[in-house]
Amino acid sequence: MTPASWYQVGRHALLPEAGHDDVARFDVIAQLNTLLADRLAPAVRATYEQVAAPAWEAKHGRAPANRKEVAEALAHQPAYRAWSLVRRNTMEYRQHTGRALALRQMRKLRDRAREFNDGADTLHLDPQLDIPKYVASVDTHLMPGGYACEVVDGDVCNAASYDSGLFATLGGAGGPWNDAAGRALVAWLARHAPDFSPRTIVDLGCGLGHNTLPLRCAFPSARVVAIDVAAPFLRYGHARARSLGIDDLEFRQEDATHTSLPSGSCDLVFTTMVLHETSHDALRKILSEAKRLLAPGGLTIHLEQPPYRQFDAYEQFMRDWDGRYNNEPFWSALHETDVPSLLRSTGFEAANVFETRCSAPLVRERTQAEGAVVEDFGRAPSWYAIGAWQTAHGNVVKGEYGHGHTPADRS
Amino acid sequence: MDTLLPIEADPTRLASLAARGRRPEFTDDPMLDRLYSVALVLTAELAITRLRLDAVERMLGRGDDVSRATVDEFKPEPHEAAERARLQREYLDRVFRALTAEGQRKAG
Ligand SMILES: C[S@@+](CC[C@H](N)C(=O)[O-])C[C@H]1O[C@@H](n2cnc3c(N)ncnc32)[C@H](O)[C@@H]1O
Repeated sequence: MTPASWYQVGRHALLPEAGHDDVARFDVIAQLNTLLADRLAPAVRATYEQVAAPAWEAKHGRAPANRKEVAEALAHQPAYRAWSLVRRNTMEYRQHTGRALALRQMRKLRDRAREFNDGADTLHLDPQLDIPKYVASVDTHLMPGGYACEVVDGDVCNAASYDSGLFATLGGAGGPWNDAAGRALVAWLARHAPDFSPRTIVDLGCGLGHNTLPLRCAFPSARVVAIDVAAPFLRYGHARARSLGIDDLEFRQEDATHTSLPSGSCDLVFTTMVLHETSHDALRKILSEAKRLLAPGGLTIHLEQPPYRQFDAYEQFMRDWDGRYNNEPFWSALHETDVPSLLRSTGFEAANVFETRCSAPLVRERTQAEGAVVEDFGRAPSWYAIGAWQTAHGNVVKGEYGHGHTPADRS
Repeated sequence: MDTLLPIEADPTRLASLAARGRRPEFTDDPMLDRLYSVALVLTAELAITRLRLDAVERMLGRGDDVSRATVDEFKPEPHEAAERARLQREYLDRVFRALTAEGQRKAG
């Protein structure tokens, strides 16, 4: 699959200015990722099937049965080591590229963000907020400094780097606005809960709001609140949304484990790609917080990578690479956690908890700023999702994911 | 915040900072791991130079004014972007051939 060129990235006022070589660097990174997936990973599989697994089996009298045993079989194979080396170094190179681009214009980007943010009543930063240790102390996916680090006052650098680099890492599969997960959630709601019209929507761990914007566009009369602990991402995201003509989306610097929003005040509380980046403790607290926030008939839903139990031992081992080598300390644990049962333990009725898939629609559509056409470059990214409906009291909440219960059954 | 640095800090050096956390080693010799890191980036940087040359060639072919600034504003037409992508893919296939399944296929 040919990745999209960075020339096709969605343009907004905060995007770092990039010359020919900057764009080419991102394009080569996208091509390296394609090489890894299409050419080097198959070499690992071939080695596993033809050499590593038979050797392990000869020694133990049976095939490797779990990812630890696959690791024993593969860890020293040159194909696996080479794939790992290229993968790790490509990620480091992507971080270096994005940060070099952003840091060299850090003042300009900071000032541009201020033009949109100063005096706006939709950006609420809390300099006193305690940044969770697991956010402050981890350079998640090899991002030096992590989400919350500030190089200058009013910094937006790591967010600018994240925004520009993500398009390269995804090879454009998230669309020009890197918002495929948000669009997938909107499509899921349209299909499975067509009568659900949330009045208050909350995105917990919104980052720079890539996946919040599609919700804002799908439910124009709802109050939409985007929450994160990382000020640089909120500054950048708020300015980005404004520059795209969206000026009523609220960005709040709060901890998703205990927000300031009143109990029962929200109809839709969601996360995208957040659960795998939260600690054991925070994961449970975020799920409970979502439950606390929901109004009767409300929905909480979390988009993620699928749990390991859906895959064979080899696939689990390959998917677990991020947990081992990409500074994702909670990756492995999350994918082994039974999130549906955690949701039930927060108080949802068993029948209202569900697992599903959310796929981004393959159509060209207007979901962003007026006039911006969203293209997904011919891919349909899709996510595993876990969700739960809050018992309703007379609300009409339809869809096959209530297990066929009528709203009355759920109350 | 402990990462707060003066605005005068050199952005080039700041950008080179490694991520915190242990850096894994995938070979039995730390120097070999480092050599891989150098080789990968060198490969990529050469691809970028090749792409810049490609941009200049295309601009000259169109009779465009070629300067550092205009090359930085170059934007390929869709068919040109596809050709540039193919150029890169073939180049990377050549460089990394030894690491692919085809490159490792045993005779027989
Ligand atoms: C991988 S990013 C995902 C961002 C966004 N949801 C998206 O899909 O683009 C994870 C985000 O979760 C945030 N985060 C982690 N723990 C949090 C917490 N307890 N409260 C608020 N945000 C948190 C991080 O700061 C980071 O921005």
